[in-house]
Amino acid sequence: MGDVLAQGLLVGGVYALIALGFILVFKSSGVLNLAHGQVIAILSYFLYQIVAVWGLPAWLGILLVILFGAFLAFLIERLAVRPLLGQPFLSVMMMTLMLSMLLKGVGLVVWGADSFTLPFTPRGQWTIGFADGIHVNVVPAAAISFVAGMVIFLLLMLLFRYTKVGLSMRVVAADHEVAQSLGIRVKRVFSISWAISGAFAAVCGVLVGMVFTVTPIMGDVILGKGLPVLLLGGLTSIPGAVVGGLIIGLAEAMGSYYASDLKEIVPWIVMLVILLIRPYGLFGEKRIERI
Amino acid sequence: MAIVRTRAQWLLLAAGLIFLVTLGLYASGEWMNWLIMVGIYAVATLGMHIMTGLCGQFSMGQSAFMALGAYTTAYLTTRYGVSPWITLPLSGLVAGLGGLVFGIPALRIKGFYLVLTTIAAQFVIMWAIRQQSWLGETYGIQGIPKVMIGGLAVSGFTREGWWLTLAIVVIMLFIAKNIQRTTTGRKFVAVRDNDLAAEVMGINLFRTKLLAFFIGCFFAGIAGWLWAHCLRTITPDLFTFQLSLWFLGMIIVGGMGSTSGAVMGAVAIMLVDKAGPSLSNVVREAFPSLKYQVSSGLTLILFAVVVIFFLLIEPKGLYHRLERIKLYYRLNPFAY
Repeated sequence: MGDVLAQGLLVGGVYALIALGFILVFKSSGVLNLAHGQVIAILSYFLYQIVAVWGLPAWLGILLVILFGAFLAFLIERLAVRPLLGQPFLSVMMMTLMLSMLLKGVGLVVWGADSFTLPFTPRGQWTIGFADGIHVNVVPAAAISFVAGMVIFLLLMLLFRYTKVGLSMRVVAADHEVAQSLGIRVKRVFSISWAISGAFAAVCGVLVGMVFTVTPIMGDVILGKGLPVLLLGGLTSIPGAVVGGLIIGLAEAMGSYYASDLKEIVPWIVMLVILLIRPYGLFGEKRIERI
Repeated sequence: MAIVRTRAQWLLLAAGLIFLVTLGLYASGEWMNWLIMVGIYAVATLGMHIMTGLCGQFSMGQSAFMALGAYTTAYLTTRYGVSPWITLPLSGLVAGLGGLVFGIPALRIKGFYLVLTTIAAQFVIMWAIRQQSWLGETYGIQGIPKVMIGGLAVSGFTREGWWLTLAIVVIMLFIAKNIQRTTTGRKFVAVRDNDLAAEVMGINLFRTKLLAFFIGCFFAGIAGWLWAHCLRTITPDLFTFQLSLWFLGMIIVGGMGSTSGAVMGAVAIMLVDKAGPSLSNVVREAFPSLKYQVSSGLTLILFAVVVIFFLLIEPKGLYHRLERIKLYYRLNPFAY
């Protein structure tokens, strides 16, 4: 039982990282990028291509994928989201949904329907010992992902609080006109935040590819985990994403412990409950119109 | 204001019906298959049109509600031997009730939160169906009987199946157009355009939104009924999230606020679906190193490109473009 819970907690860290990618884009440009899951999947496939098929070393592959992810997200923002700048929010969301299908199609065409494992996935089990001789066994990939996720979360908090780029993103998120009057180029901030979200997606791709395998339906699965975490934590809150990720990871682990077929549906049920009770999430802003 | 007003419209209606009947007489094989699938999806798209196009309640779970209708008729006809004609309204009803359940949150949440709720509805409904052993779990239900009129089997991917499909599509189109021109339809449009103003005017938002969900999912249930009786074996894997996205694409391409647009969108997207495999043959000959999954991937890419093109260039869809062309000819040589 302890193993399952620990595993759930660690996997929850990965979920939180996925949700952070959504939040970045939503905070600055107000767009819910439903294609994020599929971008992560494509970058995972691309990493597999670089490392397993072309045989480059792992660190170089990860670096290349991060650059490519930032570039891909920048392209998406420029070509598909910016033309829809003044349109109602739902048009942009439909556009991102169609983009996710496009990316899924590209993935199917180029890499087929096979599943792959990334070659640098660590094997075996690690044991984490706590004070009173309590041990939990965890999958090393999950542990690495959790640690990486927490490091990235800290880096992100630093970025937003202490750098000029982060500050400009926060201002743009608050009010576009004020940002423009301060001399911040709003469209450039959009591009930057999408590019950072793309780099995020690349890191998520590496971690998700390690913890789970690289499969053709991975994009929908990732979306299915990321959206509940996003809603649970609140659409604009970074600590909320981390808390939400951990909660959903734990809930999923407990669900799978009691009944194996509950595992896939627990995040969706949590999402439904949150939408009914508290749509803005645990830490989000109360900006929902309701009648 | 009747649905068919001028003599020109009556003539066009007659010509259209004759065209469709002729299509049925001369189509065969996979084109007949395609025609019947267009009919089924057109009914579901009409449901999307009423829910999303008229009333603005975005639903990404349409294929799950189709599944509700399909499973209702499959279960009742196989386990209890009920006649398919009786399960026709029943499957619409069950799907409509399912839509009501997921429409209740629509009162409290708007816009894209409702989209997320319906996405969750899609996955939760399909998971729930997959768990039930009395619904055949992942194997589905087999041996669904054909629909009989007298001794003639009118369902299945045959010419008689086309007559049934055509009849159902015409009737549902008539119902949808009728809904549009009644008070209920105008209430839907008012709620879509500005629901605060609608409430101020005295429209009961609760009832209107729920009714939109019920009617939209009723259409989906009917489409599911038709699909179940044509395929005669249904599995949970038929009703995917991708299919719901296809319906969304159909109303985007066809035009969100018009019934003809819904049908046009269904035809257009199904044409894209048909073009996918032929295109993939060409691609596979050009790049022989590609894997064998090119066909489904290419269909996805083609569909996405078409819908993205419409979103960027003509967001109001094919029907709007048709109206503009008619307007041009009506006003010629004047500009306005």
